[in-house]
Amino acid sequence: MAGTTPRGRAERRSPGELESEVLATLWATDRTLTPAEIQADLGGGLAYNTVHTILRRLHDKGLVLRDAEGRRGAYRPAKNAAQMTAEAMHQALDRGPDPIAALQQFVTGLSPQEETALRELLGEGDA
Amino acid sequence: MTIDVYTPLLLSLLLGALSPQVARHLAPAPAVRALTAAAVLTAGATTWALVLLAVTLVDEAPPVVADASEDGKVLPEPVPEAVAVVALTVLAVAVCRVLRAVRTGRATRRALRRLCEGHRAGTELVVAASPTPQAFAVPGTPGRILVTSAMLAALRPAERRVLLAHERAHLAHRHALLVHAVTLAAAADPLLVPVRTTVSYLVERWADEQAAGVVGDRRTTARALARAALVSHRPGCALRFSDRAVTRRIAALQTAPPPHLRPVAAAVLALGVLPALGAADATGDLLHLLGSAVT
Repeated sequence: MAGTTPRGRAERRSPGELESEVLATLWATDRTLTPAEIQADLGGGLAYNTVHTILRRLHDKGLVLRDAEGRRGAYRPAKNAAQMTAEAMHQALDRGPDPIAALQQFVTGLSPQEETALRELLGEGDA
Repeated sequence: MTIDVYTPLLLSLLLGALSPQVARHLAPAPAVRALTAAAVLTAGATTWALVLLAVTLVDEAPPVVADASEDGKVLPEPVPEAVAVVALTVLAVAVCRVLRAVRTGRATRRALRRLCEGHRAGTELVVAASPTPQAFAVPGTPGRILVTSAMLAALRPAERRVLLAHERAHLAHRHALLVHAVTLAAAADPLLVPVRTTVSYLVERWADEQAAGVVGDRRTTARALARAALVSHRPGCALRFSDRAVTRRIAALQTAPPPHLRPVAAAVLALGVLPALGAADATGDLLHLLGSAVT
């Protein structure tokens, strides 16, 4: 599976890590994305060919789909497994005691003062 | 016996009190390792000390008493009976707490396995198509990263890399295992609960520092945390206010990375070894007492 990515250009990112990043990029938007758009999003001097290879691999795994009706060559993420996961996650969250609360979550809740401070940090003002 | 049997208890208190200071002055990676090791050692020593105290009740057991009066011997009583009874009670409570922690850990693992069902092996990222912003690492071999589509959509491209690098750090350094170990230690020895709190905060700091290193930018890392925290912070959202305060993590990223002070880490470890020595010494004393009573 690994080893087909040209080395060097991909910074120290392994093929598996790059797959995650491409998949994350596709999930971050409702639009379909072309390999060139994904390449621009990922940055880091990633070669177009590398992006293409990764997309093909994700497609072989059934994780992304080629856009049939819309733009030629554009991709979108496959939703089936993700919807199942979402259902399982909400079931786990709704059932108390929450098993996920015991995990290392990326972020946790905020107090109102903290919220204001963070908005200032991001330069959003009091939106 | 009468003094050193109590050293694990005292040192548990000390470790609990010192752990926030350690978190403030030491890089998260060595701090987590040293605190976890010290907590596990201390919890073991405390439990053993309680066993020793409870064992002194043996001289109240009717067959032992009958046997001793037959031989006309005076049984040693190294600690007051009340202390031994309290020790036995605390021990029973500790056993219940540890069992509960083990069960919770098992339930979490089961729930996580279910989340990754339907996703083929060989993919690191598992996306949940959910409007709830959420992200966490799913430990295992290999581990996986579960992120919801809402969380991915909220972040900018560089910030998504921070998120992935952060969760990868949790998996690569087995943070779930370390936190589980310190959770069990705190269940066995409630005086260590502050250490557990500190360690679960510090593994987040550790992953933040790692992510900042991978992305090569502390500012972007701080902004990723801020944005993720803000989108997650909505009424009816699954995240609750907790001790893993995200603003403290952001503040830490806005300053220089904390130093790897080996002497501090070594001192914390030594603090974990001391109670073990105390307990071992007390064991020797008790065996000696019992031996002299029997012969």
